[in-house]
Amino acid sequence: MKIQEITLYVNGIQYEFSIGNKFGQIPPGETLSQTLRNRLGLTGSKEACGEGACGCCTVIMEGDAITSCMTLTVDCDGKHILTIEGLADPETGELSPLQQAFIDRYAFQCGFCTPGIIMTSKALLDKNPHSTEEEIKEALSGNFCRCISQYHVVQAVSDVAGKAGA
Amino acid sequence: MYSDDFKPENYRYVGKNAVPRKDAAAIVAGKATFLDDFSLPGMLIGYTLRSPHPHAMIQSIDVDDAKKMNGVMAVLTYRDVDQEWKMGWPPQKPILCRHLRYIGDPVALIAATDLETARAAAEKIQVEYEILPCVTDGMEAIKDGAPQLYEEFPNNVVTPGYPPFQKDGPFWHLIKGDPEKGFEECAYIAEDTVEFAKMPAPLAPEPPGAVVRWEGGDDFTVWGTSQSGYILKIINSSVIPNCNLDVHTFNVGGSYGNKQSLGYQVMSAALLSMRTGKPVKVFQTKVEQMTAFETRLGSQVHAKIGMDKDGVVKAVKAEWVVDTGAFCNATQGQVGVGIGEAQLVMAKCPNWDLDTNIVVTNKQPAGIVRGYGGQELNSCLFLLIGRTMQAGNFDPLECYKKNYVSDGDLYTWRDGRTWQAHSINYVKAMDAAAEKFGWKDKWKGWGVPTWVSEDGRKVRGVGCGIIGNADIGEDNTEAYVRIVPDLVGNKAHAVLQCNVTESGMGQRSNLVKMVADILNMPYEKVEITPADTGINPTGFGLCGSRGTITYGHAVSSAAEDVKKKLFDLAVPYLEVAADAMELRDYGVGCKARPDKFVTWKKLIMQDLTLTGYGQHIENFSTPNFFIVFLEVEVDKETGRVEVKKMVGGTDAGQVIDPLMIEMQCHGGIGSASLDTALYEEHIIDPATKRPLTYNMIEYKWRPFNNFPEYETSILESQFDTFQFKAVGLGEIAGAAAASATMQAISNAIGVSVSTYPATPDVILKALGKV
Repeated sequence: MKIQEITLYVNGIQYEFSIGNKFGQIPPGETLSQTLRNRLGLTGSKEACGEGACGCCTVIMEGDAITSCMTLTVDCDGKHILTIEGLADPETGELSPLQQAFIDRYAFQCGFCTPGIIMTSKALLDKNPHSTEEEIKEALSGNFCRCISQYHVVQAVSDVAGKAGA
Repeated sequence: MYSDDFKPENYRYVGKNAVPRKDAAAIVAGKATFLDDFSLPGMLIGYTLRSPHPHAMIQSIDVDDAKKMNGVMAVLTYRDVDQEWKMGWPPQKPILCRHLRYIGDPVALIAATDLETARAAAEKIQVEYEILPCVTDGMEAIKDGAPQLYEEFPNNVVTPGYPPFQKDGPFWHLIKGDPEKGFEECAYIAEDTVEFAKMPAPLAPEPPGAVVRWEGGDDFTVWGTSQSGYILKIINSSVIPNCNLDVHTFNVGGSYGNKQSLGYQVMSAALLSMRTGKPVKVFQTKVEQMTAFETRLGSQVHAKIGMDKDGVVKAVKAEWVVDTGAFCNATQGQVGVGIGEAQLVMAKCPNWDLDTNIVVTNKQPAGIVRGYGGQELNSCLFLLIGRTMQAGNFDPLECYKKNYVSDGDLYTWRDGRTWQAHSINYVKAMDAAAEKFGWKDKWKGWGVPTWVSEDGRKVRGVGCGIIGNADIGEDNTEAYVRIVPDLVGNKAHAVLQCNVTESGMGQRSNLVKMVADILNMPYEKVEITPADTGINPTGFGLCGSRGTITYGHAVSSAAEDVKKKLFDLAVPYLEVAADAMELRDYGVGCKARPDKFVTWKKLIMQDLTLTGYGQHIENFSTPNFFIVFLEVEVDKETGRVEVKKMVGGTDAGQVIDPLMIEMQCHGGIGSASLDTALYEEHIIDPATKRPLTYNMIEYKWRPFNNFPEYETSILESQFDTFQFKAVGLGEIAGAAAASATMQAISNAIGVSVSTYPATPDVILKALGKV
């Protein structure tokens, strides 16, 4: 069946899109990363490798961390998506405990891969609030960080896992 | 940890992590802007059609069908580009050229309304190529009869001495003393040809890119992913005659020295902007970054190194062939630094003949990566220094202590001038790091493992490597600090004006801390201007670990200058001399009398501000230092090597930012450093010369769940460098890690291994198993 329209719920906001190749429509080949970044202005997640290897484009869909550069928007009909922009309290602007832990532990250098790392960690902690260090490292094994902030990231995520409630 | 003679200062901000980085909240919230997050009205997308051949001449090119496509605004070939507009130092390569010199060399440039249209247009371009014989090995390239890449570089050797690096004249050949006589006095000599030439990828997460808007005439506004807008500006200003580049940068997604000049990205966007009259973005894909952007330099060395009976190097004779791929940019500076760093680790050696050739080959360009030439040469020379140490049965740690540069030693730096080391001695730092690692217990001698599993299959060995760099005082730089009284109330804020791009080091915030400390005001009340060559005074950005000393010096001097001006203005109010005054609570007070006080707002004329100026003048007299200890485990059945434990040691002078310096040490694992000894390499198909490691799936990199235990050992001394007595550090954190790993592997398996990277087949070959 040819899909004509889709609905996405991104950070709690409902978006309806028309699928097609006309101006303004979402072509069937458009990735979720492109839709989030170019259409919705959610540039927090980054697109770097375009083939699911670096994890910079990670967002959470229906509770799972996914690489949005490897996900076609047309396949996301009805899905709930959370991006890095949706973590802070929408009313007060207060950062989530995980975001605050990344600041407290200096868990980033250039910060390009940080949104993806935070989203992967968030998905892990939502499922497994008391993740061990080994589980944290395993979950993040698809997130590339070349400045080498890994040691501090593991501390930051472990801090939150110790307290629970990402 | 402090060395004996250091009394720590209790600064308000410096030396502490009491406040977050200025951009911390933006980074964790996804609000920090990187180039690809930025757009301009009417902006077009630039795309490049690239050569499928390592060496070819364009016979014919037909772009008519591409030009006719809806949404295509311009298609350019070499025929549209002035062939005298040359990129590189020395200028060598037109932006588009009929002569193609590597797989990925630009053939045509397209500007379109979107990337998909541009890519579709590229597929419609018809090209016929005359395929030429190619050369991809540096030592082959200099032989007579080898294919020639550039007419102006006979035998593919880049003409030495481009002025920006060596103002007194060319410097590429270090001659000192009498090497032949020196070797006669040596008890242990090693001679061989060794290489570190797999040209691995620095692999910043954010690919290189630029947005350029031609403003008409000679003016261009550039937004680049450069870690240094000023370096981008000076290197590219000689391409289009009289061009005036106003360069802006955002947060940069990793660079490691690699994303600086961005010659092709900027110049291709500039050409397309001139043609279309619109801003153009050129943002490379990861595959373009990995196959057509700069790798590490290739390094092949034939060297002879001699050590006396006490373990002191007394003579060095070497010919260093540096493969810069198909394009030479800052390589001459890198070679100068490589020569310099070799002298720092063999600083007591009076006899040198170290000759160099920079060679062009039919491979993707190679250039700056963290380590800047020093790592490339160090990784080679230490294989031979190791053999001399082994011949004399010396403990490497004891040898390093005898040979590493210290106060009073002379060396020739990349500017060709002789410098004398000043205020530094790192022996204590070596001992402290060795103790933390447990070197005394673990070191069992050359070729002897520290541990063997019961079944004999797994063995462990230890190694250590050292390196240092005097570039940490490089390049003149300036800064302004301006005090701006608040419009409401009696307080004030300060604006630090200097050109520093944030690419991961947190240095923008650390400079703000220095200003806040000197002016004794809250960190939150000090701002720093965006990185922009137009509004800021000159600053070369953060490269060569220069940020701490050079910006620290300029910024602190500017803050002290404005402080002095405030004191001068306060004399009539306080009626005491400047040395009896202090800054407090946004005002000037009398130290002895708390009631005597005047606000800055009152001292500064209404609605005006007060500015201090500071500068740093280039100085190469305080080399930094880094030592890496590591333990590896080798599986003799599979040939797999794992790093189990690392200790990184240094003396940083006054630590400015304890957590960031620790992360700078960790950074030595990334950016094609440690793992160039284990698995990081570009693999070139010998038949087609295509890079097989063209993406992040094929290219091997260390994942999150595979990091060794890492400890830092950072001493704090008080170096005579600038107001805060510190040295910069990050660049060299991993530069000796690869050579240390080779030493550890050789000790583990009892067989000398000299091939980078030591992949399982290398190990099994060394063990005679394949």
